[in-house]
Amino acid sequence: MEAVVLEMQDPKTGVKSQTQRLVITTIPHAITGEDIVEWIANRHVNLQNMGLIYYDYFFFIMLRKSLSTFLSQTPYFWPAQQWPVEDTDYAIYLAKRNIRKKGLLELHEQEQYNNLHKWMNHKWDFIVMQAKEQYRAGKERKKPDRVVFDCQERAYWVVHRPPIIFTQQCIMRPRVKSSVSIGALVKYTTTYKQHDPFLYPCLPSNPWLTDDVTYWHLNMPNVENPTKMRVERWTFSFGELLSDPRGRADFRLFLKKEFSGENLAFWEACEDLKWGAAATMQEKAQQIYKTFLARGAPRWINIDGKTMEITVKGLSHPHRYVLDAAQTHIYMLMKKDSYGRYLKSPVFKETQKKAVAPEAHKFRLDIMHNRRPSLSPIILRQQEEEQKAKLAASGPVDITQLCRYTAPVPHLAVYTGICENQTTASPGLMTLPNSAACPSPISVAIDSTPASERRFDSGPTSSHFPSIAESTEASVSEESQPPAAKSRVALSLSRLLRRGCNAPSVFASLSPKCAVTAGGGKVQPLGEPLAQPQPKRIAKLVRHISDFSLTWKAPRCYTFVKLPIFSRYIVDA
Amino acid sequence: MNRWRRSVGEIQARRRQVSECEQAQSALSKVTACYQQMATCLGSNTDGSSLREELEETRALAHRICTGMHRRLLALLAETEQVQEDREQVERMWVLFLCALENFQQDLRKVSILQETFPLGQRKDRRALVNTGATGGGSEVAGRAATVQTPWVTTEGEKKPDLKSHVLEIDGLLQEMLQRVNVPLWSVEPTQNAWGEGCGDAQDEDDTLEEIMEVEVVSQDNRASGCCNHSNCKLGCIFCLLN
Repeated sequence: MEAVVLEMQDPKTGVKSQTQRLVITTIPHAITGEDIVEWIANRHVNLQNMGLIYYDYFFFIMLRKSLSTFLSQTPYFWPAQQWPVEDTDYAIYLAKRNIRKKGLLELHEQEQYNNLHKWMNHKWDFIVMQAKEQYRAGKERKKPDRVVFDCQERAYWVVHRPPIIFTQQCIMRPRVKSSVSIGALVKYTTTYKQHDPFLYPCLPSNPWLTDDVTYWHLNMPNVENPTKMRVERWTFSFGELLSDPRGRADFRLFLKKEFSGENLAFWEACEDLKWGAAATMQEKAQQIYKTFLARGAPRWINIDGKTMEITVKGLSHPHRYVLDAAQTHIYMLMKKDSYGRYLKSPVFKETQKKAVAPEAHKFRLDIMHNRRPSLSPIILRQQEEEQKAKLAASGPVDITQLCRYTAPVPHLAVYTGICENQTTASPGLMTLPNSAACPSPISVAIDSTPASERRFDSGPTSSHFPSIAESTEASVSEESQPPAAKSRVALSLSRLLRRGCNAPSVFASLSPKCAVTAGGGKVQPLGEPLAQPQPKRIAKLVRHISDFSLTWKAPRCYTFVKLPIFSRYIVDA
Repeated sequence: MNRWRRSVGEIQARRRQVSECEQAQSALSKVTACYQQMATCLGSNTDGSSLREELEETRALAHRICTGMHRRLLALLAETEQVQEDREQVERMWVLFLCALENFQQDLRKVSILQETFPLGQRKDRRALVNTGATGGGSEVAGRAATVQTPWVTTEGEKKPDLKSHVLEIDGLLQEMLQRVNVPLWSVEPTQNAWGEGCGDAQDEDDTLEEIMEVEVVSQDNRASGCCNHSNCKLGCIFCLLN
């Protein structure tokens, strides 16, 4: 700690300081809080700003109506283990303050003064005498130094003798009767005991014991039909439902049918803000505001006026937790309202019906001998991406339905969702703004052919898809270079052709999904989805490959407004 | 009966000694207060060899006062037959002297550690000093300490020990004092009432000082004055406190 503070002092590499005007005097070596934070951030020092101030290496003078400046604490007042903080010193300090303030001490100070007077009674003469002398000695110094010293001392004592508010707050913590808490524990264990792998055997079998990985296959994040146990867990609490990606997907489906998907989308956006990278935080917050909170926003969420006020106020200085209040509100709304309806809905009942109940494993020697390694994480990830793209594929259908029947609103920003599942995968994964949010249309298209992929499951062609998908995805790092992307895409397309894959089905899914992700906010007229393969268009496409003059606008396509992250949220209201 | 046999001269001498000790006590307070004020400058940008020299001088002065007072108080307490009010006064002085020594010893310890942490031997050490925003050193304060007058200061010139041994010496002194003289600490009644020191004379210059140092009360439910609105942010609390 002390080494860092000393480092800060270095005139060349330390925090920059300035001279602070203070009414009639000036105080040198003042540093602003922002400078400190910036310096710390640049040094990647893992210190909390709170910690520094709390430990009283800095103290600050706040001038009237102006920003607070910080000064370093003099080493005499640094916290150190070598000498304990004596009550005698505190008593002297209080007496000094009494002299200065002529009896107008703060409440907590008065209390402490009285306490100390009571039990240090025999020393009191000494304390008063010393206080007077220290006061007079202090007056010998120059005025600005006196101010500085006084602030130093006060900060020291705020740290070492904090007012009793803090301790009272600790004491006033809400307490629960043990009968209540034990009751809750019992309830929890009875609910969850059959789901605990230590207490009950998991079906079909524990892969670590039998080398049979069916259990993992059945319980993958985005499996089509979840197991009965998993579905049962969703009924335990709303939190369970949301934390399970399959459950969340189911819930999302339900909400889409009810046209209240913006709540879940908002909640996910808030999670993204909380757990996402700090660099993009500002933009994310602004996007969330524009999408969900502003008046006339496309996916306006319904929160009460007070929460809205607090949130909007907080958004002027956004930080990670600025949307906490609103998020909690929406969470409770979903929990109390939508969750109950979901559990009674046909969507859920359907899922329940289709849920798998595997039988217990029967040990068989031949199975044991034919062990194979389980799915590699790469393939798992690709499957996840496919799932995302599938969602994206299903997304635009919504919008066309909407836009066919409702009048187009000019200011309505149209977003096509690439994936909403992205947030559920893992928070860390979503922080690639460009490549993830606006992937190349080809990769989207290719990924979104799970059906066709499954057809090629066995055999060499299946391996092409991942590689192509990967290459296109990897190659499209900036949308601002469509020609380059297209050329690479074109290459891969030609590779595809050469392999002689079932091109039509691939291209069938290609054409409707093509989109222009050029910079700028052009909203183009929405087109209809092309459900069937259209050979004429495909031929045209192939012809253009060599000229690198693919104009993706030619077929009726969707365009979306370029957004860094939120292009993945579907408009459905 | 012995009481009446004592000569007037003896009584007068004793009274003189007691008043000397009282003077010495206030002098010691003064010196230790100045010492502390100067010690707060250690390690800061106002630190320097002159400051350290002044610290040494002040310490020497304190040492002389302490040793003299120790001797005289012991002598005063050792006399078995004493007048009642005298005894109380002397005992009070004894206790106050004890407290003053403890306090001074603590300051000495801090100073010795700080002087080790911030040595001034080489050029690079100077750069390690903390910029605290103070401009003046403790020279004014040292001047104040130097004006202290005690009867025996100039006459009894004992050799001043160096810092570390001074600390140990005081340790030994305290031990000895507690063991030799059977004065219960709690039996001493203070002459000052609680809150008495606050009713001093009005001092005008302090008002402007208060204005300068007035800080805004920032309550947590108001606008975030440069800090975040997060409920866990303790900066807000500290702002409130430093009112």
